[in-house]
Amino acid sequence: MSTAHPPTEAELKSFVEQFVVAVDFQNAVPVAGDTKLADLPEWDSLAALGVIVMCDTDYGVTITGNDLKECATVGDILGKVLAKRAH
Amino acid sequence: MAQVTLERVRIKGLVCCVPKASVGNLDCPPEKRSERERLVRNIGISRRRICYPWQYFSDLAQAAAERVLEAVGWSKDEIDALIVVTQSPDYPIPSTAIILQDRMKLPVTTIAYDINLGCSGYPFGIYTVGSMLSSGGIRKALLLVGDKCASLNDPLFSDCGTATALEFDPSAAPIHFDMNSDGSGYRAIILPVGGHREPTEIRHLIPHKNADGDMKRDADLILDGTAVLNFSTQRVPPALRSLCDYAKTPIESVDYVVLHQANRMINETIRKKLQLAPEKVPSTLYDFGNTSSASVPLTMTVCLRDKLTAGPATVLMSGFGIGLSWGSCIVRTEGIVMPELVEM
Repeated sequence: MSTAHPPTEAELKSFVEQFVVAVDFQNAVPVAGDTKLADLPEWDSLAALGVIVMCDTDYGVTITGNDLKECATVGDILGKVLAKRAH
Repeated sequence: MAQVTLERVRIKGLVCCVPKASVGNLDCPPEKRSERERLVRNIGISRRRICYPWQYFSDLAQAAAERVLEAVGWSKDEIDALIVVTQSPDYPIPSTAIILQDRMKLPVTTIAYDINLGCSGYPFGIYTVGSMLSSGGIRKALLLVGDKCASLNDPLFSDCGTATALEFDPSAAPIHFDMNSDGSGYRAIILPVGGHREPTEIRHLIPHKNADGDMKRDADLILDGTAVLNFSTQRVPPALRSLCDYAKTPIESVDYVVLHQANRMINETIRKKLQLAPEKVPSTLYDFGNTSSASVPLTMTVCLRDKLTAGPATVLMSGFGIGLSWGSCIVRTEGIVMPELVEM
């Protein structure tokens, strides 16, 4: 069994791009790995659905609503995805 | 494992009825337009049908039933069973099916009762009625399926009543079913107040701000969007693959896969997981929203009527949602009578 590793810069960059598409922002906002979810204007239930679908289709990982509640930043979500994929 | 085949059952006719009145998810003040466009883009629902204040599910279902009887040429005296699948009964008790037996002037020898299922209901309804018919004990039955679930505020739900005429027919192709229930998820979609465990009190009817900042009453429907999404996209694709294996019908050989119309994100994820082409998976979400248990027959009527009435086709139908409950069936339609959508 492999173990989760900290995301590489390329992984984080790619994830942030996918995250931005999944949330479907009405107006462009800067997003990085350390962006706090609570600070994003569109971090709502619709955004959560989009991110869950993205994690499922692009990473093959099931992220739940509770998983997302435990995440403070965009990077935290990628951390969950990598941890789940390692199992 | 509830994988079952019913022989000697034919779906003879299908009619759907929606209210003429509709509400648009983009009908909003200009300052909300961008936010609403984002919503419509993601849930894939633009317009929804909504009952007039004097209209109920049973009115839509009755209109559909009268039309299907006329279309298949059955007399009311011939009807042996009237089964209603709804969560919008006229009254908590008695069963709407029994009230409709009288309103439609069906004989008192009719078997009539309700089944309490929502979005998963259509395949379960076909299974229940099909089981009655398969032995030949009864010969002709009506299955009325749908809900009155639209509201002005909620962007998802839409009203529709449907009537399916089923009959005993030794020459009919077998219908294969896969049906499942998981009550551990019962809180994912729930009307928590109004039953015996939590009777309605005045305090339940007072709106207050919830965690999302929306005004809600305790008596309103609770829908855990992420839980429903996880359930639908994790449970449905393997269930459909398993049904195809059981029925020895590769999914590639199915002509149409008619999914419950939940929302665009859920339906597209299921479609992609099954690697199905969009043209094989018709959708009525944009114009009709989520019509609960009526969404499978409504989508067949709106999108496939010309094709299904032109010749035989293999159709995989799948319903999933409240319960949690998910059921699917593979039907070979042949000679099905499908009049146009009724609007009232």
